[in-house]
Amino acid sequence: MADTPRKPLRSPSKKPKQTSSSSISLTPQTPQAVDPPRRSSRRLSLKLDQITTPQKPISQLEKPNKDSLVEELETPHKLVKDSSRTRRNSRKNESTKNPESKTDYESANTPKSRTKVVEVEVSFSPASPDQLETKKRKRREDKDRKVITRAMASKMQRVNRRAIRRGFIIRKWCMMVVNLKWFSFEVLEAASEGSPRRGLDLRVLQARKLGMEVELPTPAKGKRRARTLREKLLSSDLWAAHIESTWKEMDGSYWFKGRWYMIPEETTAGRQPHNLRRELYRTNDFADIEMESIIRHCFVLNPKEYAKATEIDNEEEDGEDADSDEDWISSKDAESGTDEDIEYENENVKNLCARTSSAHGLAANSRKGQFFGLQKIGTKRIPEHVRCHKKTELEKAKATLLLAILPKSLPCRNKEMEEITAFIKGAICDDQCLGRCLYVHGVPGTGKTMSVLAVMRNLRYEVDAGSIQPYCFVEVNGLKLASPENIYRVIYEALSGNRVSWKKALHLLNERFSNGKKVARGDDRPCILLIDELDLLVTRNQSVLYNILDWPTKPHSKLIVIGIANTMDLPEKLLPRISSRMGIQRLCFGPYNYQQLQEIISSRLKGIDAFEKQAIEFASRKVAAISGDARRALEICRRAAEIADYCLKKSSSNLDATPAGKGLVGMSEVEAAIQEMFQAPHIQVMKNCSKLSKIFLTAMVYELYKTGMSDTTFEKLAITVSCLCTSNGEAFPGWDTLLKVGCMLGESRIILCEPGARHRLQKLQLNFPSDDVAFALKGNKDLPWLAKYL
Amino acid sequence: MGFQSQVEKAKNLLRTRLCNPNFIIKPLSDSPDSNYCKLKFTISSSITEACNNSILLVGPRGSGKIAVLELALNDLLQEYPDTISLIRLNGLLHSDENCAFKEIAKQLCLEHHLLFSKMGKQRLLYSLLDAMNTVTSQAVVIGVSCRLDVDQLLEKRIRSRFSHRKLLFLPPSKEDVQRLLEHVFSLPTDSSFPHDYAAQFNGKLQNLLADDRFKEIISSYLDLNSTINHLVRFLFIVVSLWESKSGFLSLENFKSALSSIQRQPKQECIKDCSILELYILVCMKRLEVKEQNSYNFNSVMKEYRSVHDSFQTSDYYAWDVCLRSFERLIQRELICFTDNRAHGQSVEFRPVKLLVSYVELQGGLKSYRSCPIILQKLMDH
Repeated sequence: MADTPRKPLRSPSKKPKQTSSSSISLTPQTPQAVDPPRRSSRRLSLKLDQITTPQKPISQLEKPNKDSLVEELETPHKLVKDSSRTRRNSRKNESTKNPESKTDYESANTPKSRTKVVEVEVSFSPASPDQLETKKRKRREDKDRKVITRAMASKMQRVNRRAIRRGFIIRKWCMMVVNLKWFSFEVLEAASEGSPRRGLDLRVLQARKLGMEVELPTPAKGKRRARTLREKLLSSDLWAAHIESTWKEMDGSYWFKGRWYMIPEETTAGRQPHNLRRELYRTNDFADIEMESIIRHCFVLNPKEYAKATEIDNEEEDGEDADSDEDWISSKDAESGTDEDIEYENENVKNLCARTSSAHGLAANSRKGQFFGLQKIGTKRIPEHVRCHKKTELEKAKATLLLAILPKSLPCRNKEMEEITAFIKGAICDDQCLGRCLYVHGVPGTGKTMSVLAVMRNLRYEVDAGSIQPYCFVEVNGLKLASPENIYRVIYEALSGNRVSWKKALHLLNERFSNGKKVARGDDRPCILLIDELDLLVTRNQSVLYNILDWPTKPHSKLIVIGIANTMDLPEKLLPRISSRMGIQRLCFGPYNYQQLQEIISSRLKGIDAFEKQAIEFASRKVAAISGDARRALEICRRAAEIADYCLKKSSSNLDATPAGKGLVGMSEVEAAIQEMFQAPHIQVMKNCSKLSKIFLTAMVYELYKTGMSDTTFEKLAITVSCLCTSNGEAFPGWDTLLKVGCMLGESRIILCEPGARHRLQKLQLNFPSDDVAFALKGNKDLPWLAKYL
Repeated sequence: MGFQSQVEKAKNLLRTRLCNPNFIIKPLSDSPDSNYCKLKFTISSSITEACNNSILLVGPRGSGKIAVLELALNDLLQEYPDTISLIRLNGLLHSDENCAFKEIAKQLCLEHHLLFSKMGKQRLLYSLLDAMNTVTSQAVVIGVSCRLDVDQLLEKRIRSRFSHRKLLFLPPSKEDVQRLLEHVFSLPTDSSFPHDYAAQFNGKLQNLLADDRFKEIISSYLDLNSTINHLVRFLFIVVSLWESKSGFLSLENFKSALSSIQRQPKQECIKDCSILELYILVCMKRLEVKEQNSYNFNSVMKEYRSVHDSFQTSDYYAWDVCLRSFERLIQRELICFTDNRAHGQSVEFRPVKLLVSYVELQGGLKSYRSCPIILQKLMDH
């Protein structure tokens, strides 16, 4: 499946007629699978072009200087018209699935040039109802066409019209791009608008010396959020290239030599955290491409220019519900409610089973490069064949009990989730939303963060459906900040896309929230700030918390803060001026009781016959009695399944004939898992330690009984040991040996002791109850006399 | 090939074996109950089933935690050559979080699987474990520590995210030790050694292993510390003491190795003291017996003078000579300052304590070559 895109590229040189049909019948491919082949397809396309245009060197014209014809770019109203046309066209293209329209489609293309059967024009209709379908098809066709585009919002055109040559869009981090030169572009030629098949009116732009791409009118805004070309570019649906030279073929078609740009996801290293959302890399990969495949002009700027350009960018971006550079907060991205996220997920799921060959691709490249921090860097993909074996019930159970798996339903927290939903909705719908702050507390593993995120996910659907107004959502984890002050930076970065120092960020945020100065477009949307592990933000003078909690009280700030922490009385421990701002609305997540834990586990295990019912109940009762931590309960069950699996596999590998009948996890496995998890291993270690250590421990206990003092010194203990030894016929090992024994016990923390250099002054203390020592050593066969002293 | 060179070759072979932890661990790792099997199963099932795990290896120092881990990792790296990458962090080397993060970033170019020696700081672990709780990342975090209470040290949020796989490393049983000795010392009977030499060597070894005196030596050595590393250190000394002349390992080698490894450094230290230093030690002991708990050089000198006055000893030295030997005692840690606070203060005023027990001091005096009888008398009262 992964190499499908190549086929249409390779074949045209041989059998042009059939290619397009074959390409159309191809199954859509996934974003994941596309990435690695895509680079190669470019190279292929290069080869192909050389084949199909053998006369190129002869006919190459130095056009640019001659073509000084300047054509106005279309005006906005025309733009709308165009887009409606393109939409119509996209419908047509959609229908190319059936053979009839396919031929239609081909014949439309043929007059233009015979060699270019593959050149299917694509209309980027955003508003088509089933986006998933069109997008995939588009992607495929993109391949066929070798299109280069710079996805850009409509503002670009306007800017262009105004002859402002300050392009933007892509912010370059890497040096490759810094030396970009800028030239003016003129519109050379409008595509033949008469032909309805052409669909897109192509503006082929030519640069005088070095040029840049071309653009398609941005679609009108549909009801649902449409993807802009820029977004398509950034998700590898379109590509950008730098026009190096142009020429005219014998048959009258225009060609250019393009130098590809790459998004960070396409590099071998994948997207790195330092890559910005719209960053591009210039490659040394060249290709000859026909002009018509150009969609529109885009601007690649170096970082300085980009920073200057952002204001315009934001002003002009009004048409769309843009996600300004917020990608580095992956959670934010996941929450920001773009359709394509969901689509990608769907596709991923669909193609997970179908994917075959891209075994060694870097996983970092595969999911749009969406990751943050440690999550994806350097990971390697597990070859499919390893995972292909049929899963047993136990393995299925293990997989579904993983903490990382997000369950389909979140049982037992409905009330809390309703409360959070009500809180957020109330805050969003309220115009002022003054002083909205919610403090969520509960012990670890009670579903606090998960519930809030689930609520946000549900709200996103409501935003998509249009029932509530859009908002922006920022999630910060206190434990992941290098210092509490860095939270300003993270918030500002999430809101505006710029990285500044925390002081500057604080200043800017203050301006935005306190003074109501709206810097960027979209600032008027309410902002929901989720702060996980809030207690980590408490500084000496508590200014960070104060600042953050003070913003919501300002009129027009439209800031809603949700703080999550473990301690119930965190607001009370803070300064009164902070607790009065935070402590008003609280939500408590109590520890789960055993029925709830049981429900959580069983809901995950639904349909998998791997656990005995009592086993689940036993595990949940045990955890509920200790902590009520759902993570712990799931881990115990997973561990129990693992133990059962281990036993099963070992026994079947040893004796092949063993019946694999009893595949159920029972009480004994759960018991073993609980033992491993909750019981400190000290008793076992004491049972198995060396003879002198046992005598040493016995002497500790004896000393404890004798004096009633919990701590003793090494001198006293050594005397006791020598007494014990002489009265029981053991050889006293000597003080220095004994000191070593004590230090070794101290290393394992069976006893607590001072450094050995203190020698006879060294203080010693048992780290476990003396009963444990007595229990461990009483039945000892080698040293039966120990029992006397315990 | 001469007999001598064969012996040299055998010696080299044994030394190589003793220095290779993989070789030592192998015979103890084949049963399904061994930590090696469990660890390998856990890691490999995490790889094949795409789940995240965190495992703790706990056990006393020298119990072979790292060796077992290395063995398992080596096997897995061969089994899944392209899928595992390894990151090694050491709590002693990367004690600082930032430093550890940098190290991870550095190693990530190649690798992905995490191994910690000693649990690092909590923020690092939180980030790691939290990252593991998302579907997109896959990792196994292996923590290695000799502290049994290591999971209690974790912060509650981190403990909640930890998957609590725990493997306990215990010292080998007597039978295992016996097997290990045979495994280490027996020469291969293939072509690398002349057949009759290898057969003879192995025959003598079997006799030795069955010898009760030999067993007693081993067990008395293991009484102190029965971990594998400790045993291997002993065996290395045995091989070093094995003289090429004899050609075969003998009981004598083991005996002398035992006596050379079981030493009492404090008592030996007393043997090296000068008479004046002994006087000072004895005076300090007398002061302590008199329940004078805090004393310094000046009070020791007072005692020394009073002893001299009452017994008219021949060994009376000037004040500055005494101060110098007093300082030497401090350097040898036979006495120490009771606190580290007063650094500016001169030595003679700082309170000191005796760092050797009365029993040891008495024993040391008894074994001292030319100890004045008066000193022993002073010790007693």
